[in-house]
Amino acid sequence: MKIKVLYLIAGIIFVAGIAGCILALSAPKTGVVRISQNGMVVREIDISKAEDQFIEMEFEGRKNLIEIKNGEIRVSHADCSDKVCVNMGRLRSGIPIVCLPNRLVIEFAENDFDAVVN
Amino acid sequence: MKAKKMTELALLTGIALVIFVVELQIPNPFPIPGIKLGLANIVTIYAMYHYRACEVMMVVGVRIFLAAIFGGNMTALLYSFAGSVLCVAGMLFLKRIIDSSHIWLSSVFGAVLHNSGQIAVAVFMIGKGIIGYFPFLIVSGCLAGAFTGFCAQLITKRFLKKDISKDKM
Repeated sequence: MKIKVLYLIAGIIFVAGIAGCILALSAPKTGVVRISQNGMVVREIDISKAEDQFIEMEFEGRKNLIEIKNGEIRVSHADCSDKVCVNMGRLRSGIPIVCLPNRLVIEFAENDFDAVVN
Repeated sequence: MKAKKMTELALLTGIALVIFVVELQIPNPFPIPGIKLGLANIVTIYAMYHYRACEVMMVVGVRIFLAAIFGGNMTALLYSFAGSVLCVAGMLFLKRIIDSSHIWLSSVFGAVLHNSGQIAVAVFMIGKGIIGYFPFLIVSGCLAGAFTGFCAQLITKRFLKKDISKDKM
């Protein structure tokens, strides 16, 4: 009996996870990208309008090079060992690009941040 | 602690570390940090159902510390530590409810708890933007947890058949 309840709970967790994935993947793109480091917002850029550029982020001596090109943003270079952030490619959906060692997060900002940017 | 038991625990830790290092060499198709099979946890789950709580904690504690050194990624230590504490605590509790023929179910819960701990540390350290990963971690945790759980269940079954672990039960 208890096992059945636990099966049910596990099933609910799994389905909720899938629903969350779909929700994250279908999150609307706003064009405004927020770059934050160590929990603080460093920059907000409208990449659909911004010109092609490189942004260098530094944290405790380590660097990430962020590239904005043709209205898309990605991490083009990192001096960590695993290169997770580089391998994540361009920012496309609700899944943020992160660099755990350098505490860097690149994500689409919610709509209400347009006002702040303007 | 008897020398025999200490040797067994050291052996388990060693096996887990070997599996961990081998798994490091497998390229990860998912570019999200935290998503991996976690094959080393087969040993954890096996230990969970064959040893006492404090012995399991010792094996896991030593394993994650040495794994961080072998993997050369000390920042990962904090994440795996928080994850492991939650996971071990949760599974030790679930062990009372879930018998050894449903190990994979308890492994699923362990994996989800592990990922929750990791995300909690990540939110604390990096900021809440990272919470977008949580659903992906949960789904991968369920699948990987079920897989490692099945492996551990298989091992337990085989060992019982051969009566190797009779004196540990």
